[in-house]
Amino acid sequence: MSDPRPNRYQLGPDVVEVQRAPEPGVGRSFYRAFRETLRGLKTTLGRFAEGTVTIQYPEEKTPVYPRFRGRHKLHKFEAEIDGTAGLEKCVGCSLCAAACPADCIRVVAADNDPENPTSAGERYAAVYEINLARCIFCGYCELACPFDAITLGHDYELSDYNRSDLIFTKDMLLDEPAERTPLRREGE
Amino acid sequence: MSSNLQYRSPYTVVDALPPGYSRRPAGEPERATITFTIDGQEIQAPEGIMVVDAAKYGGVEIPVFCYEPKLGAPVGACRMCLVEIEGIPKLQTACSTPVRDGMVVVTKSERVVEAQNGVVEFILLNHPLDCPVCDKGGECPLQDISYGWGGGESRMVEPKRHFEKPVALSDAIAIDRERCILCYRCVRFSQEVSEDYQLVLLDRGAGAHVGTFDGTQYIAPFSGNIVELCPVGALTSRAYRFRARPWDVEQGGSVCTLCPAQCNVSYTVRDEQVMRTLSRENAGVDDGWLCDKGRFAYEAWESDARITTPLVRQGDKLMPARWEVALTAAANILKKSGPRTAALAGGATTNEEGWLLRRLMLDGLGSPHFDSRRGGEFDFDVARTLANPALAATMPDVEWADALLVLDCEPVDDMPVLDLRIRKGVRRNGVKLAIASARPSSLDAGATRVARIAPGGAEAFTQALLAALGDGGDVETLCENAGADAAEVRAIADLLAGAKRPVIVWSERLAVTGRGAAPLRAICNLADRLGIAAKDGAGLLEVPLSANARGLREIGLLPTAAPGLMHCDNPGLDATGIAAACGEEISALVLMNTDPLSDYDDPTAWSAALAKAGAVISFSTWMDAATARHADVVFPAEVGPEKDGTVTHPDGRIQRLRQTVERAGEVNAGWWVLNELGRRVGVDLGVKVANQATAQIANHVGIYAGVTTAELGGDGVRWQERDAAANLPRPARTTFDLTPPPAAPSSDGYLRLGVFRSLWSGGEVVNAATLATLAAAPRRVELSPVDGERLGLTSGDAVTVKTGDGEMSAVVALRDAVPAGFAFVSADLRLDEGDEAAVATLGRALASTEERSAEVTK
Ligand code: SF4
Ligand code: SF4
Ligand code: SF4
Ligand code: SF4
Ligand code: FES
Repeated sequence: MSDPRPNRYQLGPDVVEVQRAPEPGVGRSFYRAFRETLRGLKTTLGRFAEGTVTIQYPEEKTPVYPRFRGRHKLHKFEAEIDGTAGLEKCVGCSLCAAACPADCIRVVAADNDPENPTSAGERYAAVYEINLARCIFCGYCELACPFDAITLGHDYELSDYNRSDLIFTKDMLLDEPAERTPLRREGE
Repeated sequence: MSSNLQYRSPYTVVDALPPGYSRRPAGEPERATITFTIDGQEIQAPEGIMVVDAAKYGGVEIPVFCYEPKLGAPVGACRMCLVEIEGIPKLQTACSTPVRDGMVVVTKSERVVEAQNGVVEFILLNHPLDCPVCDKGGECPLQDISYGWGGGESRMVEPKRHFEKPVALSDAIAIDRERCILCYRCVRFSQEVSEDYQLVLLDRGAGAHVGTFDGTQYIAPFSGNIVELCPVGALTSRAYRFRARPWDVEQGGSVCTLCPAQCNVSYTVRDEQVMRTLSRENAGVDDGWLCDKGRFAYEAWESDARITTPLVRQGDKLMPARWEVALTAAANILKKSGPRTAALAGGATTNEEGWLLRRLMLDGLGSPHFDSRRGGEFDFDVARTLANPALAATMPDVEWADALLVLDCEPVDDMPVLDLRIRKGVRRNGVKLAIASARPSSLDAGATRVARIAPGGAEAFTQALLAALGDGGDVETLCENAGADAAEVRAIADLLAGAKRPVIVWSERLAVTGRGAAPLRAICNLADRLGIAAKDGAGLLEVPLSANARGLREIGLLPTAAPGLMHCDNPGLDATGIAAACGEEISALVLMNTDPLSDYDDPTAWSAALAKAGAVISFSTWMDAATARHADVVFPAEVGPEKDGTVTHPDGRIQRLRQTVERAGEVNAGWWVLNELGRRVGVDLGVKVANQATAQIANHVGIYAGVTTAELGGDGVRWQERDAAANLPRPARTTFDLTPPPAAPSSDGYLRLGVFRSLWSGGEVVNAATLATLAAAPRRVELSPVDGERLGLTSGDAVTVKTGDGEMSAVVALRDAVPAGFAFVSADLRLDEGDEAAVATLGRALASTEERSAEVTK
């Protein structure tokens, strides 16, 4: 039985004509082949003139932005106001621990001895630990601290061989960052 | 931790019944339901409750500081709860305005918000805002309310008021007066709840501050509650000082097992250590209060004095041993002595431990000699009558009774939180209180009637009461025997007879007077005479001598009864019998959480018995006298927050203990130790997890049939209210023939000696830093000022108290309330060497109604 519908899809004679550009000459062919190479060479040769930019890490270090968030520091009072110089600013309030999204701060507070105070408040942090292996360097602890006792510094050299060595204790955080990267010595 | 044991938010919609109530107490008036409008929504609430509470039915939160329903009538001190009520021009305090039908309340209008901002600003005027160093920070209503309802800014530039801080209000509590917002909660607690009348608000205006009137320490048995009440960080616990923040900790609900009150607690846990104990309000048990012993005992559990390893005796020393060694040593003792082994349990022993101990003894060793009572005859009919659900008073019944008799019991020492419940009933619900006790009771002041009886005269008093109620017998003679005033006894009889809901609170001490079950029979008769069974809201409440005495009795840790107070074919020796048979019929003794030398009434007999008993195995938390001197093997016992299991409240509420911290040191679960011992003596107790023991109880104890920990939940269930209560065997008779009581002890011209045990004793008190000063108080002898003058003694004098067979040293305390001719000696049995004679003397005086007189000399 033949299909009663009209066949709309019958192909007619199908001729495609291709338009071609004229054949290039020798010079133009060369240019087309090496144009990008030459552009690259121009940049290379141009940089030669500027001198080296490689930073010899770890002997040399890239400067960080002022608001870079690196390893934490705990601070002490420096100025002599009401005899507080040298006392820890941290009162062990645990607010940083509450703010920390990675839950990596542990504070155990204790009663300050008024005769021989550790901090300037009624309490002080007997234990203050940050697990830097878990820290995401968000800086919330710094925001939360009512005494500006903790800030994030510029030190980013934090790798170690042992995870537990990345739990920084209060003494470590009060100290200047230790020199942790092996440097090439004179003559090495 | 399951949610039903957790802290309850005060802002959830209140249930029709408070947690822990299964029914409204009979005496509590019904309230009609009314409809009122709050913030545009129409809601229904019981008539007459305060607007703050009514608002919760519609989920509306009104901020409060001073309002605390536990403290009684509101005072409207802080003005934080101001709301607009249609028809009243001024803003009203929602905490002290009862809700009425058709009332229209607005809590969010501009006027209200302005007022709330103003109140917060005003409250913060002098507040130091030292949240970072403040222990309340993170759980502080002042922080929350400032944040939620405050304006956010202060205009105060002037200097704030300053006080010296922190100051010790007592060993337990530090006060920071700068932080105080003068809400009066602590003062109201002291004045109207615990009625110790010590805290007051001193000075006025900006100088107003909380303190004791004369600047002495605030020392009271319930002082710790004010720390929980204070809505700011003005009152803080010194023991908890700076130990944790709310986000550092978890709360775990359990039950305190230091006394029969079995208050519901919530332990604050940090790093597997209990940091503090908070109340977990259960209206059916504790009403939201704790005593200081329960609150600060956790300090003792951390102390070095606690036994945390198994010990085995080598020579005359107890040496730490491995579990395997200790278990084998204990099993060898048990195997060797077999049916000649006896066991005593007390204190915080759970139903499960009691059950497994019973099975170990019966199934493992074939010995029926175990007891959880302190002695005294066990009469089935009496026990079953007294357990009759129709005669049982609940804790709320105590508060809603119309006449309450407290018989030979000092609640503040025997079951502290009951003391607060009674005071509440008297103060707020007009309970008519009658006291019959030898030593002046701290409840005397609020009592309608006080009958002073001779020490040991409680049985005669009960019979005199019966006679006065028309039960036969001669009132005068019986009163003479009781050492009581006949007119007073008659007045008490009238009071009880005329009551619709008489409740009688009596002490288990009546069962161990040396008169067998006779005093209890008199109580049964009294219940019958007063028609208690037929009266809704009337009942009896026994105050047991140890924390879980009721549970242990009911699961069958009795020599003469099977579980569920059922008949038992093969009775064994009871505690008194065991003491007598040690060395003969009994060759080994198991002590579970009990020290017979200080818990039982006859230390001399027990001292001899323990020395003669071939071997002693002790489950103990502390190196108590019996353990130190006589134990051959010591198993370290778990303390409250380490335990899993169930206990039974004196009013029949089965409550669940849940483990919230790791067991200290090498401590193992009590059920595990018993199961291991069973295995070694050849019986499989079949317990691999704690609630398998609960399941065994549910299968074998008729009146506890089918009980599961899930059913108990956080609030517990009274077994009398379960269907299984029908399994309680009926007594053959409920009234008894009484034998005449012994004549009143004569004093032979000396003083009559009475003995009392104070709350402040036991390892938990001695080893808790906060409580130690209270425990260290020297033995007291209380005299009347008349005798004081006659003997030339004043308070504080060191004296020697001589009795027929011994003497002891004590310090005089003159008390106006002590009747002339009596001397009351505190029997906090601290068995230091050399104190033995005193202890023996006291112990016997505690126990007997015999002639007991004392001579007090400088
Ligand atoms: S920087 Fe962020 S993640 Fe790291 S300690 Fe601070 S709050 Fe925690
Ligand atoms: S560092 Fe700051 S926020 Fe953290 S505990 Fe110390 S004072 Fe509190
Ligand atoms: S009482 Fe509350 S608001 Fe006041 S200092 Fe303490 S935490 Fe802050
Ligand atoms: S100390 Fe606390 S509870 Fe007492 S009045 Fe002050 S704020 Fe209120
Ligand atoms: S809560 Fe209403 S006045 Fe304080």
